[in-house]
Amino acid sequence: MTMFHFINCAILAFGPHAVYYSATPLSEHETLGTSIKAAVVYLLTTLAKLICLATFLKVSDTDSFDLYQELIKASIGFIDVVGIYFALTQLTHRNISQAHKFQAVGLGWAFADSVLYRLAPLWIGARGLEFTWEYIFQGLEANANLVLNLSLAALVSLMWLRKNKPKSLIPIIYACVIVLVSMPSIVSYVRKALGWQPLKVVGFELISSLFMAFISWQLFESCQRPST
Amino acid sequence: MAWRTRGRGGDVVLESVCSVLTLVLVVAFVELGDAATAVDVYRLIQYDFAGAPFGSRAADLNHLAGSSLSVSEADLSRTVIIHQVRDLNLTLLNGIITSKQPLGGLLLLLPQRIGSSESEGKTRNDSINNDELTRNILTELEKLFIHAHIPYPVYFTFENDKLLAILADVKRSDVNGQPASATSGGYKLVLPSREPKKVSSPTIINIQGWLPGLKGDSDANQLPTIAIVASYDTFGAAPALSVGSDSNGSGVAALLEIARLFSRLYSNSKTRGRYNLLFGLTSGGPYNYNGTLKWLKSFDQRLRESIDYAICLNSIGSWKNELWVHVSKPPENVYIKQVFEGLSDVAREMGVKIGIKHKKINISNPRVAWEHEQFSRVRVTAITLSELSAAPEFLESSGGLYDSRNLVDETAVYKSVKLVAESLARHVYGLQGRNIEIFSENSSLSINPFYVKSWLDLMSRTPRVAPFLQKTDPFISALEKELSDHTVDVHLQLESIDGTFSFYDSTRATLHIYQVASVTFDLLYLLAVGSYLFLLFCFLVATTRGVDDLINIFRRPPSRKAKTA
Repeated sequence: MTMFHFINCAILAFGPHAVYYSATPLSEHETLGTSIKAAVVYLLTTLAKLICLATFLKVSDTDSFDLYQELIKASIGFIDVVGIYFALTQLTHRNISQAHKFQAVGLGWAFADSVLYRLAPLWIGARGLEFTWEYIFQGLEANANLVLNLSLAALVSLMWLRKNKPKSLIPIIYACVIVLVSMPSIVSYVRKALGWQPLKVVGFELISSLFMAFISWQLFESCQRPST
Repeated sequence: MAWRTRGRGGDVVLESVCSVLTLVLVVAFVELGDAATAVDVYRLIQYDFAGAPFGSRAADLNHLAGSSLSVSEADLSRTVIIHQVRDLNLTLLNGIITSKQPLGGLLLLLPQRIGSSESEGKTRNDSINNDELTRNILTELEKLFIHAHIPYPVYFTFENDKLLAILADVKRSDVNGQPASATSGGYKLVLPSREPKKVSSPTIINIQGWLPGLKGDSDANQLPTIAIVASYDTFGAAPALSVGSDSNGSGVAALLEIARLFSRLYSNSKTRGRYNLLFGLTSGGPYNYNGTLKWLKSFDQRLRESIDYAICLNSIGSWKNELWVHVSKPPENVYIKQVFEGLSDVAREMGVKIGIKHKKINISNPRVAWEHEQFSRVRVTAITLSELSAAPEFLESSGGLYDSRNLVDETAVYKSVKLVAESLARHVYGLQGRNIEIFSENSSLSINPFYVKSWLDLMSRTPRVAPFLQKTDPFISALEKELSDHTVDVHLQLESIDGTFSFYDSTRATLHIYQVASVTFDLLYLLAVGSYLFLLFCFLVATTRGVDDLINIFRRPPSRKAKTA
């Protein structure tokens, strides 16, 4: 029964990635290789990030929100952007379009993130006899993260790879990237400083990720127009 | 590129991959103690007496929690009943036990003991109001359990906020007509335990120490001896909770203080009396003073004859104004009279009342209700000083569930010490009938309240059921060391307990309480996740490839089948 619960949570956490891959044209273009390579890049990026975090961050005993620390954390988050840029430029898969490429990279990125951060806690926690809502929330969080990572990949591809974009949109793109990168810090602010309940935090994550996705989509569309 | 350059250091990569894999495997098969609540629980005693099984005969728990004992059609054989002792319906419980109704288990919540760390914030008044009631329930409960044969596990634990919250939750779902079952979820109580094992060769340990008197040149004979005796072990429904602060922690504390006072007198040859003082801490008290019997048997005839009289101290920690001297010879007996008058003189001066109770010994009856009866059986004059006015029944008043530190009033112990020590000193120095206070306050020979108190506190923390006290137990060593600080020739006597008793271990354990979801919930959850993924799939296909594609996806399988066919 507890194994059953674990499987349910795992489906909720990792299922959307598979569905996304099979439902969108990504599967038709066989971009799985790109996604896997993106996942590998994600691993290396995370390693670099962890080293930076370990170097620059203090280990705080209290569970309070420290603005200075969170700022450092957010700025270290920009390593992600570099990683995604690297993945987008280096992993050339000739026969796919810009739009599909960023999706493949974002998908691989999000999947690696989910596996790395959620699989072990799920395996250890959700199989236990004790029932908590925590693992269901984690599954929902994984969904929000997928959306966020896709948006980030889309914006990064806009930021550096598209040359002929409207000048007026550039600051908005940059602002959105900053917001996306600092999303973990915002969530931690909401959780620790405002003391929100987990349910509220997850709801916030889901809604904000959808909102950011909508903005990114609009930006992407408006950049697409002049070129087509 | 990163993943290409890694190829060169292939061995290193292989090694690290292997180590990571081992780590993953280890993590995958380690079961973590992830229960939301882990509580210390204390098992009901399990023992055999004369071949008949008594107490709780099992230790393993793995059932859902329930809260209602009421006999209904519901099958309780897979339910652990959690119940507060303070509102336990004893007749109902008695009915369940005597009718041998199967239960999954029983977890009884005892009220917090005052003075324990968790109850500090609470007001004392509140608990005192309920004291009498709780005491009665606990005494009755203990009597019921000790003499019953219960095939399922019974555990005790102390109330705390977390447990009470869980209990309230369980009660609520019980009232709503959803008794705990696999489909409705609830709380699961898990306590993995092996079959309780018989304690191999349980021992009882008697400790004795001497304060030798001053031998004058003239008396060639052995000096007369006065014995002070207290039984230190306990017996109760939960062996790990049987601290027996009053029965007989108070007696032991008083004995140690008397030993300390007289050791100061005896350390100076000018104030050394012409009596030997023998201090005995005996074990096996609840089992008809089995240890005392064996201790006396180990004496040689000359020593036994040299004992002038023995004072046994038993439960002297919670009396208000009246103590009883229990004797088994008629009070008119000249020796008894002498001892009693010595005590009552001092008592009169102290303003406390002591009475005398005579209870004849029936040699054919194996029951030995008082410790002095063992002395009387070997023809040694002996009395028991106790606050109990009547002899306790077998295995009762021996340090049970209720007998904790808050029951003991330290001043009662001080008064007892003063009473015994003063009358003893008058006898030793031949000052009978004279109004001289030897252990007066503010003198160097005054009673040390801190000493008595610290011993009471220590004993109130130490369960002392004899079969679970090994020779190497720190408490035994502490008693031995304390006695050897004040007296000489300290000697430990190891005896095996009377063969009619055997005890089983697993007296304490940790219970894990899990909040579990029901199977129904998990099914619904699966359904929700599945439909979410399905909708997501449809949505994505419709937006990225168009609605027609979506419809095609669901059409294709039958057509493909048709083609292959």
